[in-house]
Amino acid sequence: MRFALETDPKRARTLPFVAVWLILLLLGGLSLWAAFLGLGMWTPAVQSGIAAIQTALVFTVFMRLKGEPSLKWVFAVGGFLWLSFLFGLSMTDYSSRQGWPTMYDPSGPSYQLPRHSP
Amino acid sequence: MPDSAVLRPDLQYASLAQQGETAELGMWVFLVNETLFFGALIFIYFIYRLTYPHEFAVAARDAVLWCGSVNFVLLLTSSLTMVVAINAAAQGERRAMVCWLIATAALGCAFLGVKGFEYYLDYQDEVVPVVNYLSKPGEGRAGELFWVFYWIATGLHAIHLMIGIGLVLYVLAWKIPRGKITPAYYTPLEVIGIYWSFVDTVWLYLYPCIYLVGRS
Repeated sequence: MRFALETDPKRARTLPFVAVWLILLLLGGLSLWAAFLGLGMWTPAVQSGIAAIQTALVFTVFMRLKGEPSLKWVFAVGGFLWLSFLFGLSMTDYSSRQGWPTMYDPSGPSYQLPRHSP
Repeated sequence: MPDSAVLRPDLQYASLAQQGETAELGMWVFLVNETLFFGALIFIYFIYRLTYPHEFAVAARDAVLWCGSVNFVLLLTSSLTMVVAINAAAQGERRAMVCWLIATAALGCAFLGVKGFEYYLDYQDEVVPVVNYLSKPGEGRAGELFWVFYWIATGLHAIHLMIGIGLVLYVLAWKIPRGKITPAYYTPLEVIGIYWSFVDTVWLYLYPCIYLVGRS
């Protein structure tokens, strides 16, 4: 990221962080706006996508993953890889349940857990 | 930790650079655990939210949006002040580093202050499961699940933030006065900065999960 004020070394070092901070706030505002748009079942998907972009920015810039490839990349990515296993394998159960999930319809009836006779 | 006067690495390391890299890597390994810890919690939330969409939408409307939004800004700003403090440490600007670290700790404390006030409002609003809970019309019994998630998730997050503030204060009160943070070796600050930004990242997910549900 290059800035016009790069001739001032101190400001040049700080400005990229300020720019990322502003982008993060802007994305947060976008997420807030999306909440009032009435996107239904797409709202959590949009907000999760925005959160994922924000995470990428925080990890690469604020947590300093940007730069030379290093072993810490393996662990940074590894956490999300294991998380995807957790999500994926857990979803094999839920996605195979009959009638789950219900569509995101605030006025509609909710899913009722099946009642088993003793 | 290396002696500031000599700046030698600890016995098991060949150089300060190696010691720093090892410490940073150790924090990343720890954060893998934290990712799974909070990730599992948020996954359970989505399972319940998909199962009880209507109840969650009704229950979540009682979450205090302005508190969550103010805290969102406070926490992101604290991440900025933390990285600027690390930059100042790298350049040997001791005074700037101290100022930015104080700002970081103050923003963290402000977050906790707003959170505490929000907890007070939540208690008044009778959304504290087991202790003081009144089921609102339309939320059924599943609405309480949302508030169980809210208290567990925000409570755990607040504990993590308290640890972060404690670490920043430790650096301010112990490490810096003894000259243990120098441009040649500021890894302790860098490691705390990584942890701090991770705690910030968790809030990036909790904010939409808690405060931005059922608003339309």
